[in-house]
Amino acid sequence: MALRVGEAATRRVSIGFRPEGGAVNVTEARLDRIRGPIQPRNHNARTIAALSSNPGCARRAVMDAAGVDKQQVAAHAGFPAPFGQSRFALSRGNAFEAQVKADGCAELLRLLREHLDLPIPEASYADLEEAGGNTSREARYARTRALLARAAASGDDAGTMFDHPLLRLGVGGRPVYLEPDLLAFKLGHQFHVVEIKSFAVIDGQADGDKVAAAVIQSAVYVLALRQVLGELGCGPDLVADEVLLVCPENFASRPAGAALDVRRQLTVLRRQLARLERIDSLLEALPPGLTFDLARGPDGAVQRPRAELADALAVVPARYTPDCLASCEMCFFCRQEAAGTTAALGVTALEDLGGVEHIATALHLARGSADAPGVQAEAAVLLRAAARLRQECLGEAV
Amino acid sequence: MTTLTSLARARAAERGHAEPVCTVRHLHLSDRPLVFVPLTLAGEACAPLAAMIGDDPRAPRLLTVAQPRNRDQRFAFTAELAAAVIPYLEGFSAASETVLAGPGREERTRYCDAPQVLVPGPAAITFTRMLGRSTRFRRTDGPYPVPALVPLLGRWLTFLAEHTEIPGSCLLVAATDALSLHWATGQSPAEDLNLAALTGWISPPAGLTGSQAAAVAEDPLTWPPAGPATDPTFDNEVLAPLMEACDRAAVSGDEPAMRRARLALDQALRSQLIPAWELMWQAVGLLRSLPPGGHVAARWDADKDAFTFHAGHLRDGGPPQPRRDSAVAAARRLARLERLQASYGAQRAFDDPLVMAERRLAGEAFAGRVTAAEPGRVDRSGRRAVLRPRVTVETSDPVLAEEGSVVTSPARPAQEARIVSVSMPGGRPAQVVLELSKGMGRGLTAVAGSVPAPGEQVCYATFHDGYQPPPAFPEPDQTPWTHGGPLQPYVPSDEDAQEAWS
Amino acid sequence: MVTSIEALEERIESLRGRVRRARLAGDRELAAALRQELRSAEREWDEALEELAGNQPAQNVPPARGEQPASSAPGSPPGGASPAGVAAPGREGTGVAAGGLALPLREQVHQALTLLTVPAAPRLVSLVHEAFFAGAISGARLTSLRRDEERSFRAAPFARPYYLCAALTADLLAPARGVLAVSTWPMERRVIGPLSPRVDFLTAAIQVAESILRVSQPGPGALRLLWRFASNIPGGMTSGGKTNPRRVAGAAEAERGIHADADQAARTDAAQRARAQLNDAQQLFGTRLRGAPRSAAGG
Repeated sequence: MALRVGEAATRRVSIGFRPEGGAVNVTEARLDRIRGPIQPRNHNARTIAALSSNPGCARRAVMDAAGVDKQQVAAHAGFPAPFGQSRFALSRGNAFEAQVKADGCAELLRLLREHLDLPIPEASYADLEEAGGNTSREARYARTRALLARAAASGDDAGTMFDHPLLRLGVGGRPVYLEPDLLAFKLGHQFHVVEIKSFAVIDGQADGDKVAAAVIQSAVYVLALRQVLGELGCGPDLVADEVLLVCPENFASRPAGAALDVRRQLTVLRRQLARLERIDSLLEALPPGLTFDLARGPDGAVQRPRAELADALAVVPARYTPDCLASCEMCFFCRQEAAGTTAALGVTALEDLGGVEHIATALHLARGSADAPGVQAEAAVLLRAAARLRQECLGEAV
Repeated sequence: MTTLTSLARARAAERGHAEPVCTVRHLHLSDRPLVFVPLTLAGEACAPLAAMIGDDPRAPRLLTVAQPRNRDQRFAFTAELAAAVIPYLEGFSAASETVLAGPGREERTRYCDAPQVLVPGPAAITFTRMLGRSTRFRRTDGPYPVPALVPLLGRWLTFLAEHTEIPGSCLLVAATDALSLHWATGQSPAEDLNLAALTGWISPPAGLTGSQAAAVAEDPLTWPPAGPATDPTFDNEVLAPLMEACDRAAVSGDEPAMRRARLALDQALRSQLIPAWELMWQAVGLLRSLPPGGHVAARWDADKDAFTFHAGHLRDGGPPQPRRDSAVAAARRLARLERLQASYGAQRAFDDPLVMAERRLAGEAFAGRVTAAEPGRVDRSGRRAVLRPRVTVETSDPVLAEEGSVVTSPARPAQEARIVSVSMPGGRPAQVVLELSKGMGRGLTAVAGSVPAPGEQVCYATFHDGYQPPPAFPEPDQTPWTHGGPLQPYVPSDEDAQEAWS
Repeated sequence: MVTSIEALEERIESLRGRVRRARLAGDRELAAALRQELRSAEREWDEALEELAGNQPAQNVPPARGEQPASSAPGSPPGGASPAGVAAPGREGTGVAAGGLALPLREQVHQALTLLTVPAAPRLVSLVHEAFFAGAISGARLTSLRRDEERSFRAAPFARPYYLCAALTADLLAPARGVLAVSTWPMERRVIGPLSPRVDFLTAAIQVAESILRVSQPGPGALRLLWRFASNIPGGMTSGGKTNPRRVAGAAEAERGIHADADQAARTDAAQRARAQLNDAQQLFGTRLRGAPRSAAGG
């Protein structure tokens, strides 16, 4: 039988979300309208991490909350995103995870024993990927909760390794399902989030950006696990601040582990997610009929006029920085909107240019002979001095 | 980014064309650089997929791997790469010269020139480092032998990659770094990592503005990424099926089918490499259009010394570079890099008024006109009478240096100038009085021209490129236990050569 | 003839571009349609070249327009023989039994599982077969094996002497993901409790170690397999990284003893419930419906 493997970040679950209690509240209705009559895309740890790194962007907050397919919207607005995943990277990631978990998680158990000091008798395994053939998110989440509750009670049958559990985290006032690679529980101690990544650690060093991304995603899982256990009446101490990252070591494929402290990321995340709580207030500021629906016809062709879609998008303000190019499918659309701003020139450009927001203004101040009024006075002095120096060296005016 | 470079970017954005941020070239450019454009398979630590390499823009050599996850094919590729690279490197050991002794250095023999390898971007440098690491410890005998030249290539690649960390070294250069050092585009530094977009801003094709050229450059179908990463749609739609065809032919043993499959694969990979290859040579041309800065030759001499030393080390059968530095070596290295960074920054400022302008804006230097001079002033207050001319410089630059501090002029690097007073009568411009010593010859009369005269434009900086003795560190075999104890000498072991079991 | 190859190449280039653009625009249907066209154009190209090569006396296929001869790493040694260190695929899907006859896939899997005596994942089955029998088993063919066996059983129950079946999870009696078992094994061996994956791993280690001891000249595949077990069992290797079959068996037995009682209890309980609640087909292949949970907290 095939090994059921899948990259959580790209998985689309076909069952839509309805909040518990059954009634569709106002926020849900508005978000449904914004998305249009299609299935929502799911948040995952990666999108939550990206969202929290740019909390001032209302456009992203609204689109992610509504579950809009940003890639499709960007493409049909005329700015297809440069994102995509190579199947070689995907298959490598899947293969490495399969290797770590093969044969009763043999390699993983070795690492858990080494890094968490797991006693030998604690070696039990529970597969939470399916709940008896029923793969609905609600069913999987319920089963995960039940097993976590049993573990937290710390009896003999507490369990040690929980494979592909389904957790839930409140984001922007709505629950989001999240799926870490694995949770490990040490009897009498704590749960540890385990993240399996296929980038290599060479001579003890790995790609800094990739490690940072793994750490933030793991912190999202820690938060989610604490929330689930909190609902069961357990304290946050039941989840460790340390995450076990499993990667291939050197150029062989041998899995190796590293314990990473995520307390700093947890602090940042909690703060950013709290700012996101106000999705309701964001929505209140928007016109009630606003929608990013592509209005596909029965043949699947998009019927929404491009200009109209672009206008709709422009209603929700964005906050473009060059960092968006690495993390959001709307980046090219927002970038062309931001053309002419100093923020688009680089992360420090705004500050370098004395806090002046527009390129035209900065150049005007640099070329001006009179002092500028008010808040721009200092910027004008700085920019004029810079322009003078450039002119002196290059012989032509800025 | 600084205020000056951000202003240049703003100007570039307005104009639709890149703006210069240097007036000279701050890196050495070889007459015959080796251009190396590698591609890797996504998801692996270091799985070469293809490379285009050569020192002649009209004659690129294409190397490809049909199954990058296959160990033997990977090393066969590396052996082919070695056959292309090592003759180029070793060719420079044919001619050598004697170098006279200088401050801190003895007389020695040095090759007349050194190799220079150019790659598209920083990611390619990382790949070079990885490839060096994954090959330099391999053995040519024993249970997992690799072809003969592979470990040697690994050591050379590691040598080159390590040198990129030395400020001012040009043995291995990333084209995007080199271009960005000299030009500001109207986009962000992140976007400048796209070699096609960067070149498009600096030198757009006829009929297009720089920003239009950059927009076209972002289309991976028109301009395949210069790598080592390939475009995901290329991987999924083109590369994967072609690799599967090669795999099928290998399994079935059908020779003609394998040849056809290899041909198709090579064509596809070539199509991804040729545009980057051409961009690389275009970058070389753009850099060559700038005159070299004054200190470039001296820094290249240091690179030649390093190359000579490493070639000798290899000839003498020395061990490969260790995986990690010992504590003492690491501390020494860091201190040296800091000194070199300061020196490199100073040299660039001395060579280039536009770079000096940044230091002036930050208050670390000032420039202006000499308004008064006392070239014959003698100080008789001490035991001996000494020549201490004074000059007054009028400058509009902010002067943050304090009274009593010592500044240097690029025009008279051996001379020290001490700030006697800074005054701003009724606002700008400032009047700075300097007292000069050294660099005027012996005796109480200054050599002609060694003291700035009224009306002369001068520039003084708080930083200098002088020789500084390195801090004292213990010998490696005296490493304190707090830093891991004395270093054990490297002994090659089977562990280095072992392969994955899976 | 050359013109038509050129034309094909242009068409292939154009189709590749269009497929990739369709993917970038997120248009999956268009991409799929174009991909079909692309595949057939690539096939045509391949056939045209083959024909051309057949018509030419010389060995070389003419390089495509503008193409310099590529200097490239060898794709594969002639005859499909594998380089050292890579498992020989052999003729796909068949092993060789004593007497030289090719065995069907299910027989090969049965051989490997019988050696292991415990449920195992396809990868381990393949490694065992490669180590002790002839050649690796193609993973692709194993993915549909369990489904095929179930269909065969339902069509004619117990017609065959054995079936390759599932192992059932103890709590829900559902088929455990990614694991194969043999139908003739007792139910206790075909259920998976919380500790069973680990216990089965240790049992497999012992079986592999003992099989190596029985063979006069264990091949490199067998020794590699032993090393995989040894490196993941406490005490399986010396501090110098060396191992041997007796050491591995001893270490595996030592840890198995720690888990044995708890595991046995869970399996016995699960087997009883399976026999009581499930019909023949379900006992072999599991139930997709939710089985009665082991306890109130288990569901």
